[in-house]
This record gives sequence, structure tokens and C-alpha cells, in this order.
Amino acid sequence: MSLVRRCPRWLPPSLLAAAAVVLAASPGAAQEAAREPAYRAFPYLGSRLAIWAVAQIHLNFAAFILGVPIFAVIIEFMGWRIGQDREEGRRYDWLSHEFVKLTFAAFSTTALLGGFLLFLLITLYPRFWAFMSSIFAPTMWLYAGLFFLETFAVYLWYYGWDWLSGPRKGLHVALGVLANLLGTSILLVSNSWVTFMMSPAGVDENGKFTGTLWQAVHNFTWMPVNIHRLIANIVFGGTIAGAYAAFRFLGARSDEERARYDWMGYVGNFVAVSALMVLPFAGYWLGFEIYGFNQTMGITMMGGFMSWLWIVQAILIGVLFLGSNYYLWLGMERIPGAERFRPWIKFLLLVIALGFMVWATPRSLIVSLGEVRAMGGTDHRFLRFFGVMSAKNTAVNLMILTTFLSYLLYRRANREPTVSWARTGMALQWLAFALAAAAVVGLGVGGYFVEAIVRIRRFSPLQVLAVLGCIVTVMAIDIPMFRNARSTGAIRWGSIAPRSQYVLILLAVTFTWLMGLMGFARSGIRQHWHIYGVMQDRSPDAVTPALGYAANVITTVTIVFFLMVMFIFWLGGLGERGHAPAGAAAREPEPLPIAGGSQPRRPGGAA
Amino acid sequence: MAVPVPVRVGVFALAVMGGYTWYANSIPQIESKPPEELSLEGGNVTPQQLVAAGEQVFRGKGQCTTCHGIGRAGRGPDLAGVGARAASRKPGMKAAAYLVESLLTPSAFVVPGFPNIMPVITKPPIGLNRSEVWATVAFLESQGGTVDVKLDDVPPIAGAQAGGGAAALELPGDPKAGQAVFTGKAGCIACHKAGAIGASPVGPDLSNIAGSQPPEYIMGKILDPASKGTVSGFPAGVMPKDFGQRLTAREYIDLLSFLFTLKSGGGAGAATAAAPAAPKP
Repeated sequence: MSLVRRCPRWLPPSLLAAAAVVLAASPGAAQEAAREPAYRAFPYLGSRLAIWAVAQIHLNFAAFILGVPIFAVIIEFMGWRIGQDREEGRRYDWLSHEFVKLTFAAFSTTALLGGFLLFLLITLYPRFWAFMSSIFAPTMWLYAGLFFLETFAVYLWYYGWDWLSGPRKGLHVALGVLANLLGTSILLVSNSWVTFMMSPAGVDENGKFTGTLWQAVHNFTWMPVNIHRLIANIVFGGTIAGAYAAFRFLGARSDEERARYDWMGYVGNFVAVSALMVLPFAGYWLGFEIYGFNQTMGITMMGGFMSWLWIVQAILIGVLFLGSNYYLWLGMERIPGAERFRPWIKFLLLVIALGFMVWATPRSLIVSLGEVRAMGGTDHRFLRFFGVMSAKNTAVNLMILTTFLSYLLYRRANREPTVSWARTGMALQWLAFALAAAAVVGLGVGGYFVEAIVRIRRFSPLQVLAVLGCIVTVMAIDIPMFRNARSTGAIRWGSIAPRSQYVLILLAVTFTWLMGLMGFARSGIRQHWHIYGVMQDRSPDAVTPALGYAANVITTVTIVFFLMVMFIFWLGGLGERGHAPAGAAAREPEPLPIAGGSQPRRPGGAA
Repeated sequence: MAVPVPVRVGVFALAVMGGYTWYANSIPQIESKPPEELSLEGGNVTPQQLVAAGEQVFRGKGQCTTCHGIGRAGRGPDLAGVGARAASRKPGMKAAAYLVESLLTPSAFVVPGFPNIMPVITKPPIGLNRSEVWATVAFLESQGGTVDVKLDDVPPIAGAQAGGGAAALELPGDPKAGQAVFTGKAGCIACHKAGAIGASPVGPDLSNIAGSQPPEYIMGKILDPASKGTVSGFPAGVMPKDFGQRLTAREYIDLLSFLFTLKSGGGAGAATAAAPAAPKP
């Protein structure tokens, strides 16, 4: 095989993009740019729309290739610890390999889009780019170096799967961890640029940068955005992997194939929901830091021209929570013994629906005079009590607790504990739930009677701690309690209702759309500033568009993204068809149990 | 005939996104436009015009309504009747002085029961200029009080124009030659006063033009006056539109260099335009 053929298909674009970053960040290039006009126009679309669209598609791909490997390595680790000599261990290993394969196919597109975005910034906003690179040039060189390292690490991780198997499996898992650490480092570096635009640090009264590079990097919103994006990337990767599995499930030609992709979809959704449950906490911290940086920015974000955006966001989050829970409830129908939990579902649905409604209740919106008259004031006399953060925090914490309860019921659907202390354990678990719910509600009600600063700094973190404490306590009891549990029947993988697969697709589409919306929010709160309070946008595109226009852009971008993803997956499928199936067949083990601890349906046989 | 899976999935995904898009388009559509600069210095402005301009700033560029209402409580105090109340907030301080202080140094006095969240409104991101502060105070005084604020009650604001691109604009022109253009070939002196030069009341007094307007405004006003609007209190369409044809590039740069020296308290010196201000993170 020639060297050219051995070279991975995504490597040249990755290196090209990395080289472009290095060249563009050089002082010479920055000086050249400083002599250029401040703005240039992109034909037909306009500069802002061109940057917006390419940046968002690039971010979607970047989120995918950073998020998927995180849980791929976790799954690989689990398979390694279970043991490659056991079928279950091999199955986890196969799934991890499948996920990395999805990532792998998207790698080159991500790099190319990154390069395209960079060239657009240099050519359309040269003065802005000169200013940014004058501060961040060293981090841009670092970014390029990390890109090289991550590229090689992922390359070795993917192609070394068989080579580093058996006794060297630990080394392979370590390689996966290294690839993730490098990927996360890339995320941290690039986040420093966008967060500096939001909350610049190290700039004097005259707008001149007088601080250190570390000050610029470690600005107010850098770490909250890092954490928020990291978690969101895992959710995103999980939903996309789930949608991929759903697509394959719906098109499956055999029970075996259907069972395999049913399981894959479940794992994708499980990872997504696990991360989704902590995402609101990270979002709250980010909002807190935005207020800490600049009250005006915070108030513009939540109560100014962007106030309606949060209603749309609440609807999307509500759909995600409802969809995730509905998928779990549908999944329970393929588990013998889960019938005993069916009566509970309506109560879980009620809590989530009520929480959704509270979260979607606006507080201070820009309303018309007619609407003010109809309500008898700028706030509704009754609903305004549900529009404040005290109510919303309470609602989202209860929704998270309910989602966790859904998962717990799913987990024990076909199992009955055999340990002698099972009754006590169950009682303690319910007590943990009751205490957490009481704390969340109590602190939520108390939040109406204290100053905002007390609510923000004490009550809200305590609510979060109550929920996380409940989750940890319940799982600490649950894991030993259900060890050696009696099975009431194996999960009938592949027999789940087809509509459940549309729920997985709904989750992927909704989360992708939500990412676009949040991208608009993060960028839009700067309003007519390239760098908030430092460099004003004086281009013809300085207007921050209304939500309808933003929604049209987000939908178009999301459609383009999914079309590109489908094309890449299709190309990947073509590649598979062109190769000998022996290796692949050997890698694909039969479905095996996961969280439920039960046995899957054997090919061609009943459970 | 069974519909292929990609078609079914595609239609479903489009329907979901279509729903979100429809909803986002069905709610109130609010754009955030870059604020326009208001210049009143040197103008013959009546109190009514000043109050009207102030209300415009209050509801627009100043973003005051984000926290304050008139006749309703918000994050900040209800401003109904503030014109009457302001004189009694701090002993010995008149209404105008108190209102100016509350805009320029908001933490100097915080109304009991409210958090100390008011930003300095002459700093970015809001960055009101001197004229805008003057007009805003007049509008607030009009809420139950007497409009008696003078431009001199508002101290000259250093670096009031924010966002110039993170660097002062330096021109290779000669201010002295520019002054000659001002008084000679361009004939600006026929309508404008500029510090010790000229006294005509036909156009706005430009004695502090560099302290109150960004470079882009001054440059644009010479080449395309209509694009920058008309200063309140002055007739529209008087400013000649042909300076771009009449002046050479050298003369234009020299004229700008001269105009950039016109700041209250500052004399002719380096041709440096108002530097942008930045907030302390």
C-alpha cells in the first residue's frame, strides 16, 4: 500500500487548517491586516450571515467530534474492565469502535470548516482579526500544535484498535483518554477567544490591551463556557449517536441488526440524558458570571430585547426532558417486569409537564400596549409569581429529579433485589428523594422572601446540592442493592416501538437547533460590539437581528448540517461495503445487557 | 408502497424544525440596532426639544427601560415623579446635580431597597455622550419637576465615544493648515464657531466636537452630511454636500486634524481623535 493511501482521509485538511491558523496568527499577517479596510462584504449573503452560518456548522461538527469520543472512551474502558474474553466486554468494545468511527468520518469536515471560518474572518473582518491576533497569537500557535497532537492521537486510537488489543488494551484506553484530553484542550483554547469577545479582560480605559495573555484567556466567562460546552458536547454527541442508531434501526433488515441498534440508541440516549441533567447547573453558573462581569449585559440577556429567546429555549428544553423520559418509558415496554411501574408514569409526566410550564412562564417581556392593557399591567397578576428565577430553579430541579427517577425505574425494571437489607435500602432511597424534593421546594419558596443576592449565592446552589446529593446517595445504595438481583426476564432488544426511534431523532434535531439558538444568544448579547465595550461593530451588519430571522438561519444551518452528516455517514458506509466483511463481522458481537443487567434477545430466538 | 426511511426521517426532522421556526417567527420581533449619536452642543435647544431628545435616549440608547419604569417598579426605582424627588435625595444638592451624579457616579447614592447595579452610563457598552446625558437629565426633571439643567451642569466626559476600534485614530495632517481650510477655502467659519475662532450661530458650535463625537461622525458629516442627520435645533439641508469634490485629500486630512483638536479644555495639538473607553471587567 502506498504512503498516500495509508494517509488517513481527514489528515491533510486537518493539517491544512492547523497551518492556516499558524500563518494567520503571525505578527506579520496581523500588521498587514491592520492596514486593510475594517470590513469587506461577502457577496449575496453579507459578511455577518456568511460568518454566522459557517461558524455554527463548524461548531456543530466540532461539538460532535469532541463529545462522541468522551463517551466512546468511557464505554471502551467499561468493556476493558469487564474483560475482552466475555461477550459483554466485546460488545462494549464494538460500540466504542462504532462511535469513534462516526467521529472519524466527521473529522476532516470539521477541520475544513474551521479553515473556511478562519479565512472568512481574515478577509471580511481584517481589523477585528488584527486586534484579536495581536493578543491571542501565542494561543493560536498552541491551538495549531494541539490540533496536530489530537490528530495523531485519534489516528493512532482508531487504527490501533486491533494492534493494541489483548494485554495492551490498557494502553489503548490510555490513548483514548489522551485524545480526549487534547480535544478538550483545543476547546479551552478556542473558548478563550469567544469569551474574550463577550467579557474582555486586561483592557484599559482607552480600549488598549494592557494586560497579560493569561488575563485575556482567564476572563469572566471562560471557565463557565468551558464547562457548559464540554457537557453540552457530550449531550450533543449522545443525541447524534442515538439518532444514527435510530436511523439504522428503522432501516434494519434483520432482528439481530434491529436489536444491535436498539441497544446503541439506548446507550446514546443514556449518555445524553446523564449529561443533560447537569447542563442547567452549568448554564446557571454561566449566567451568574455574565451578571458578575456586567450587569447591563446580564439584564439585556434576560430582560431586554432577548427576553423572548428564553421562552423558546424553555420550550426546547422541555421537549428534551419530555422526549428523554418518554423514550425511557417506551423502553420499559420491552422489559418483562416493568409493568409494575406503569402506573407511576402519569405522575412523572405530570411533574415534568408542570415544570415545563413554569419554566416557560415569562417574567419581564417587551410587550405591546394592548397586551399591557389586557393583562392589567406589564406583568400578569398571577403568572408573574412563576416567571421569577426562584420558581424556574425549583421547576428545573424537580424535572431533573423526576428524570433521574425515570431512569431508576428503567434500571430496575426487570430486577428484584435479593439482599437482606433491600427494604431498608428502598426506604432510604425514597427518603433521599423526599428530602431533596422538600429542600428544592422549600428553598424555592424561601427565595421569594430573601434578597436576590441571597437567593443567587446561597439558595440556588443549595438546591443543586440537594439534587446532586440525592442522585449520589440513591446510586450508592442502588448499585450494591441490585448486585446479584433476581431477573424477571431479559430485555427484548429490538422490540421497542418504532416511534421511540423518532423520539431519538427528535432529541438530536432539537438539541442541534438549541445549540444554534444558544450560539445566537451568546453572540447576540454583545449587540453592536465585536468585543463588548472595546471594539464596536461599525459594519452595515451591526444590527442584531430579531428572533424570527435568527430562527430561519438556525433552521437552514441545521438542515445543512444534517445533510452533511448524512452524506459523510453514507460515504463511510460505502467504504465499509468496499472492504472484506470478515473483520467487521468478527468485531460485531451479539447484543448484551447494559444498565438493566438482563440478557438481550438472541438472534432468531425469543428472549 | 412503503415510504423509504430517509424520506420519513427527513420529513419528520423538517416538521420539528418547522415548528420551532414558526413559533420563533410568531412572537414579537425585536431587533437591536446600534444607537445613533445625538449632538446638541452649540445648538439653540428649547426645553421641550431637550426633553423630547432625552426621552428618546431614555427609551433607546440609554437602555434605561431595562430596569426603570415610569409608573411601575422594576429592577431599579420607579422614575415617576423623580423630577420633584431628586432635589430632596441628598441635602444641599439640587435636582439637576443629583440626577447628573446618579448617571455618572451611580454608586454615590443608591436608593434604599435597591441593589447597586446601575452602570456608569457614559462608559461602554452604553456610552452616552455629554449631549445625551444633558437631554436625559432634562427628561428626568420633566417627570414632576422643573427642567432647568444646563449643559455646563454636565462635566465634560473624557473618552465619551466608545468603540473606536481599540486604538486612537491618528492622522498625518497639519492642524494649523486645517484651521486655514476651516476659515478659508471650506468656509466653515461662516456657520460654525470653533473655540476662539468664529462666532456664527447658523450651525452648531464645534468647540468640543472631538470630545463629543466619534471620528467617523466628523468625517462622515463633512463628506455626506445627510447620512449623519441634523443636530437638533438647526435647519436641515444647510450643510454643503460637495466638500468631497471641493477639497483635496490633503486639505480634508488637515481639516480633520484641526477638528480633532477641538475638545473642551484641550487646545490644538496632536491630531488624535477621541479615544474609545472600555469598561473595567
